[in-house]
Amino acid sequence: MKTTLTCRDVTRLVLEGEDRHLRLSERLGVRVHMLICKACPKFARQVQFMRGAMGQWKQYGGGNGEPPH
Amino acid sequence: MTEFARQVEALRPQLLRFARTQLRNDAWAEDAVSETLLAALERPQSFAGASQLKTWLVGILKHKVVDQLRRHTREASLMSDDDSADFDELLFTADGHWREAPKEWGDPEHACRERQFFEVLEACVQHLPGVQGRVFMMREWLELETDEICKELAITPTNLWVLLHRARLRLRSCLQSTWFDGREAPPA
Repeated sequence: MKTTLTCRDVTRLVLEGEDRHLRLSERLGVRVHMLICKACPKFARQVQFMRGAMGQWKQYGGGNGEPPH
Repeated sequence: MTEFARQVEALRPQLLRFARTQLRNDAWAEDAVSETLLAALERPQSFAGASQLKTWLVGILKHKVVDQLRRHTREASLMSDDDSADFDELLFTADGHWREAPKEWGDPEHACRERQFFEVLEACVQHLPGVQGRVFMMREWLELETDEICKELAITPTNLWVLLHRARLRLRSCLQSTWFDGREAPPA
């Protein structure tokens, strides 16, 4: 594994982290990159946002039919 | 019509919305919903009443939707040019830097208070290319494991990772342009 990851690499790993457990070396690479990059932490928060929003969407359509208030 | 049948029928539009978003094919969605309603009306006694009627029906629908995907595996995994298009190039320079840095979106709880947000989110999911939309929904709504998705759609794990990657990047871009752009930045 490369010691320095680009934003493109980190984006891919952050997204794959939604669907599988990242290996230790991958997690470390991402963590190190996040310390020196301003953009990728925001991307990671957007991914969290999407996960949260899809969870709420399931409730919206699958729960009582009304959006949560 | 009994009260139970009336209540079941009243939920048809919502079930159809879920089925369409997942299957991306109106005929398959109609079939999945009809099979769901039929199953529900044939054995109302299996509705214990402890869970909400809709939750129970959505549970049945998920099985019927998977049946449809199995019945139409080949068509469901047939990639369009849009499915195959590399999205990374639009977002990153050749040396792997962001062309445009991601913006702060704030807390999902905040956006989810607005009904309109769900309409935008749903529209963005529906605008994903067909196979991307299906695999994304299989993960997020059917909550299938990645190896199950590969099996149901007869695609390789490599293909699946690429499809999920592109689907999530597209969804992100769609939310940025149709919801967040033109709104005040949320407090960081």
